[in-house]
Amino acid sequence: MRESFDEDFDVIVIGAGHAGCEAASASARMGCQTALVTISLDMIGQMSCNPAVGGIAKGHLVREIDALGGIMGRVIDRTGIQFRLLNRSRGPAVQAPRAQADRALYRTEMRHVLEFTPNLHLRQGVVTDFVIKAGQILGIKLQDTRRLRAKAVVLAAGTFLNGLIHTGRSTYTAGRAGEPASIELAESLKRLGFSVGRLKTGTPPRLDGRTIDWDVFESQPADERPVPFSFLTETIEQPQVSCHIGYTNEEVHRTIRDNLQESPLYSGQIKGIGPRYCPSIEDKVVKFPEKTRHQLFLEPEGYDTYEVYLNGFSTSLPFELQQELVHKMPGLDQTKIIRPGYAIEYDFVDPRGLTPFLQTSLVKGLFFAGQINGTTGYEEAACQGLLAGINAALSIQGREGFALRREESYIGVLIDDLITQGVDEPYRMFTSRAENRLNLRYDTSDARLSPYGRNLGLLADSDWLRFSARRDRIARIRTTLLETRFKRSDHEYAELSRQIQNDLGDSISLAAVSQLPSVDASLIFNFLPSGVRSSTSLSELETTIGDLLYHGYIRTQQLNNERIRNQSDLPIPASLSFNRVSGLSHEMVERLERIRPQNFGQACRIPGMTPGALSTLLFFLKTSRN
Amino acid sequence: MQTAGTIVALSTPPGRSGIGVIRISGERALDLTRALLRDPDFDPDPNHVLLRPVFDPDTQEIIDRALVTFFRSPHSYTGEDVVELSCHGSPPLLLRILDSLLFFGARTAEPGEFTMRAVSNGRLSLTQAEAVRDLIEAHTHAAVRQAARQLGGELSNRLQPVKDKLLEIIVPLESSLEFVEDDLPDDIARNIEQNLSLLSSKIDVMADSFRRGRLLKEGLRVALIGRPNVGKSSLFNKLLSSDRAIVTEIPGTTRDTISEVINVEGIPVLITDTAGVRSSSDRIEQLGIERTRRAIADADLIVAVLDGSQALTDEDGEIVKEASENHCVVALNKSDLESFCINNAQQAGDNLVLVSVSAKNGSGLDALCAEIIRPFSAGSLDEGSFVITNARHYDLLRRTSEALQSSRSLVHQNVSEELILAGLYEALRFLGEITGDTTPEDILSQIFSTFCIGK
Repeated sequence: MRESFDEDFDVIVIGAGHAGCEAASASARMGCQTALVTISLDMIGQMSCNPAVGGIAKGHLVREIDALGGIMGRVIDRTGIQFRLLNRSRGPAVQAPRAQADRALYRTEMRHVLEFTPNLHLRQGVVTDFVIKAGQILGIKLQDTRRLRAKAVVLAAGTFLNGLIHTGRSTYTAGRAGEPASIELAESLKRLGFSVGRLKTGTPPRLDGRTIDWDVFESQPADERPVPFSFLTETIEQPQVSCHIGYTNEEVHRTIRDNLQESPLYSGQIKGIGPRYCPSIEDKVVKFPEKTRHQLFLEPEGYDTYEVYLNGFSTSLPFELQQELVHKMPGLDQTKIIRPGYAIEYDFVDPRGLTPFLQTSLVKGLFFAGQINGTTGYEEAACQGLLAGINAALSIQGREGFALRREESYIGVLIDDLITQGVDEPYRMFTSRAENRLNLRYDTSDARLSPYGRNLGLLADSDWLRFSARRDRIARIRTTLLETRFKRSDHEYAELSRQIQNDLGDSISLAAVSQLPSVDASLIFNFLPSGVRSSTSLSELETTIGDLLYHGYIRTQQLNNERIRNQSDLPIPASLSFNRVSGLSHEMVERLERIRPQNFGQACRIPGMTPGALSTLLFFLKTSRN
Repeated sequence: MQTAGTIVALSTPPGRSGIGVIRISGERALDLTRALLRDPDFDPDPNHVLLRPVFDPDTQEIIDRALVTFFRSPHSYTGEDVVELSCHGSPPLLLRILDSLLFFGARTAEPGEFTMRAVSNGRLSLTQAEAVRDLIEAHTHAAVRQAARQLGGELSNRLQPVKDKLLEIIVPLESSLEFVEDDLPDDIARNIEQNLSLLSSKIDVMADSFRRGRLLKEGLRVALIGRPNVGKSSLFNKLLSSDRAIVTEIPGTTRDTISEVINVEGIPVLITDTAGVRSSSDRIEQLGIERTRRAIADADLIVAVLDGSQALTDEDGEIVKEASENHCVVALNKSDLESFCINNAQQAGDNLVLVSVSAKNGSGLDALCAEIIRPFSAGSLDEGSFVITNARHYDLLRRTSEALQSSRSLVHQNVSEELILAGLYEALRFLGEITGDTTPEDILSQIFSTFCIGK
């Protein structure tokens, strides 16, 4: 048994998916010698199914990653081929961009970014085990007998742990189609005593675009004014393409229903739990039989390929059936499948065993990030990777760990949900998961989080300058809106009155006008004093107006939060044995012992805690402090 | 408050009576009982009543024979093991038994501790626990019934359909906001305003019932004033004799011969007969006058009694004037006499509530009582319908209503849905504080079972 190490690093990141890339990038930029170890260097930054980033809530996560200094936003901005801003007509809090990516370009761009990151070293290899001594991580072992030393390790293995692919009745191990699963590493985790469960997800077939009759489908073009993800991106330069919308039909549904026994999920072949919000077409047809058609999206995989992603048709039916179903849809009657859809089961580890810094409680210096914690989605994985990489670096540097609060970020909501409630299905972010949704606006991510990024060293000087300048501009616009008033005698007043078709009182500030229903930011823009207007962008004006609009609502929420926070920050001693808090039933004690909440607020969020148990606990905490 | 250990307490009120019940709750309940019964093999079936001798631990002699009932956790009041001892109701005896149990390792229960354990162990919801308290404190039959209904979960039952309705409004709104890329029906969020309006009224009605509910619980204070010989005391006595109240101690008042509680339509009314209000140098009379002043100051309503068979005196006028600074009813007494004339009261003033009564034959008393209640009772609720008696519930319902209202006004203004939803979620949270549930997870589940989401 070898004892020596081949290479020495500060941090090792296992897995070069969306979590791994963020972790490695962050750790390296914070000054740690970081190795990114992956089974295949050619698959760095690979999107496993839908080649798209963003959407409601997910887009918010990307913005927050970007505000903190993460890299996902910049990469998608350079490789997105169809940008759309969702909820454009609604408030700034719930708008979010979504972009289809050129899958191959995204990979190469991500690798490019990583290769140009100082302190970051790419290594190809299959990790089989950890080197641990006295509960502390020392390094990792690779299949080819290499041993790499590290003071901290971030595991971001995605769907590779004991991955098992199902297409019809055929089953084989794989981490993704065409890539081997991580078997030995999965077994190591079990041996170490981690609480391992099983989840599943699925992916649709890819089609040969040359065999599609495009005229049959409704076109969904990109936005005229694409809104980038990253605060650092001025405009989207690259050409944009369109997606297309289609539908299934009753014949397709009937065929699926007649053949459910061929579907691994319905035949019981698959044990893992799948997400409710990424259902297979089999699921959709069974659960919503009254729907005569389900929507599909034909998404191009890239500029230079004819491969098309059939979004909305995730399936693990046998290949012949998939092909038959495709042929039953108008416009696709001649279409060839070039990659079949499949379902994949994989191991995940109960995230309740993690600290708020994503460190495992079993092994010091070992961090978990991404799908391994039970989440689904690239964005959900990436933000965990970012936090894990940051904390791995901080732990080595002897600095305090970094965690975000629920009230200030979706990332905070996500991690808190994971470590407090665990998962019983793959966890995806929704805006409704955040109690403070109004505060977590898309366009204020930088204001909320960039100062943290700066403190951590993830925002370069130039980035920080841009942030400060934007912040200052917004402040100036705000002052201008509040101080610019028009009286009846002013000609602007008359013009405004005419456009708004409302009486505005004897005098009115521009700020008040901006709050009137159905007043657009562009209208306000035209009435800004010329000195300010020349240095203002429409989007910054929109953000400022949004701030004014939400101010009142947020203030009420903040008051509520303070009230709750006074109690929720009440710490629970790490050494407390919950069965000492008498008045708690065995069931409550068991839940508390399981999670070991660090403060009262966390205890409140443990599912199944009765109000009575919480009062008892609170009382105990308050009185035992004396 | 300590929270550990096995607790004991006397469950029946202090004082001599036929039976005294001692209740033991906690892990060691059976152990302690075995020690008390000097029977280490005592292994009772739960919910069976057994007769057993109870021993003094010092003298080893039998001090009582008690009926012992064991309730096995979780099927007991507190959810823990509970033993109830029904002993003879002699205070020294009960004290000795309690002491013995303490000697064996029990601890005296803090006030409300049994109920607190019941709530902690999920045997009672918070609102039910409050009902227990209300039940114990109830003064009239109606209040007892009300508290019993709350204990039976009626408040939660009433609120559940309201919460369901609120969710029915939230789910489509939330779906249209979050799942913009999915194929959802266009008219998904129609009729929001209408639905919100209906919901608001339901909640307002429940909240308004609080006024009456508070009366049911806390009662009304009424003072009878009038010069001597108008028949004040006779009226007072006559009112009492037709009462159906549970006569109990009302905290905060001295129980003397001039104050009594009567039951008016289920509402406890404390009527105080007062001494005259003349200035006097007589010490005893001065004390009486002091009491009178206090009764008038504390009163929610004053009944000014006048002799309807005579003309009004100046003193009568003064009395009515003083009374009408409050809520006031003028009782024109002696309607049984021939010389009774209602016009005698005309000079007393305008806009007075006037009721003709006879303390002698009881006529007009029902009308008098009705007038006493009228300024305070809400709406057309009858004694049988459900009312909110708890200030906490009232407060939460009011806040729910406000939150719904703010959302309603936003619907008009065409603002983005998440602002409307903010108020709706607040409302949901307040309702949840009354009954104790609904998390974001519930909403997501509802959405996914209603709409086909997911690309």
